[in-house]
Amino acid sequence: LTTKRKIRANRANARASTGPRTVRGRARVARNAFRHGLSLPACSNPAFSKEVEALAREIAGPDATAEIQELARQIAELQTDLSRVRRARYHFLSDCLSDSHANARMKLKFIRRLAQRKEPDISIETPEKFLTSTRQGSHKLALILSQEAKQLLAMDRYERRALSRRKFAIRAFDKAKASLSHSR
Amino acid sequence: MSRKDRSKAKIATRSAPGRAQRLAVFGPPLLLEGEDATAYDELLSRICAAVKPIDIVDEIFIADIVSLELEVLRWRRSKWSLIRAHGLSELEYFLAGKLDQDLYFANYVDHVVRFLEDNLPEDEVDSAQTLADKFVEGDKDVFDKVIKCFPIERSVRQVLDDARADKAKKLVQEYVRGEREAVTLINGLTDAGVSLDTFMTEALREKINDIERIDRLTAIAETRRNAALREIDRRRAVLGETLRRTVQDIEDGEFEVIETMPAKGKNAA
Repeated sequence: LTTKRKIRANRANARASTGPRTVRGRARVARNAFRHGLSLPACSNPAFSKEVEALAREIAGPDATAEIQELARQIAELQTDLSRVRRARYHFLSDCLSDSHANARMKLKFIRRLAQRKEPDISIETPEKFLTSTRQGSHKLALILSQEAKQLLAMDRYERRALSRRKFAIRAFDKAKASLSHSR
Repeated sequence: MSRKDRSKAKIATRSAPGRAQRLAVFGPPLLLEGEDATAYDELLSRICAAVKPIDIVDEIFIADIVSLELEVLRWRRSKWSLIRAHGLSELEYFLAGKLDQDLYFANYVDHVVRFLEDNLPEDEVDSAQTLADKFVEGDKDVFDKVIKCFPIERSVRQVLDDARADKAKKLVQEYVRGEREAVTLINGLTDAGVSLDTFMTEALREKINDIERIDRLTAIAETRRNAALREIDRRRAVLGETLRRTVQDIEDGEFEVIETMPAKGKNAA
């Protein structure tokens, strides 16, 4: 059994050594687990609030009731979430297509294979040709898709969730509008 | 404003006034390197014309349909490109094993000339072509001199293999461009029980895992596109129902209850 004295000592020691103490340091470690932020809703980021408000106003239309405005806001938030996921995936694919990371990984894999097999017969020009080659267009995209499928499918989960939630938000909005027009 | 923004704004202005501003809310179209912005605009205007959006929610679905349709086309293109590139490289490999020496002889000479130009003293570079011609004809006087110019790891056999592979590659490129000479030659060589389809099938077999991944992405995009179309249908049905009710209410309001009045003549009777 841990004694009370030991518990007190542990707690005191822990308080004395729990990470950064400055505001800047704390702000920095607060983002340690942050990867892409796609699991956070758009409303949690003030940068997106303007976008959400503009879209919500467009969806609600003029002279909207408070209920319609609220439902329109939900749609706008989910649409913004969806756009963020799609933009993240687009930037990911664009980066892979434009920079040489994907090519570099492919080439490293080739060098490793070559080194493991230790082929004395292979001509010097074969690796030279491969290492200096760059794949273009759809073929390059196909290779990226095959290599980065895991990452793309992970992003797809966020898109699926946002799409599903948006669908139900739109249905609720349509229902509210229909009952409103009927009651008038 | 970027080129993509402009094109989207242009098409939106053309199709309906005031829509440009609304579509800007969705952001620019997400086109990858080498994709055509006009194809996006064309698709958007055709779908807008067909669906005739009644509000911004319809436009949200239209934007979804267009981007998902482009995605479907993008993945299909990638899949075809992967199979084709792999099939053509199989054809190249097959051809390299079937080419007669006279077909790739010129490439062999070119390789030798290149080695000589890289390694001969500067004042002898002009004689590279002559030396190479004599070497490939088997002139013993120039043999040692030329062999010394070969890279240390290359034998004559390997240089011949390289020349053959180069020729095969060039032939496949000409075949892809549809040049008649290459098409005839390759069709002649592949007559022995093999065709381009054989190589494509081989590519499909070898790349089946990559193809399955692309097919999965295509299926996801198709399902979502169809779901967006169904949502537009559902909204149309809701709109139709609302309109029916409204019309009914208006008609009900127009009706006047006419009280039955006894006819004068009938009472007298």
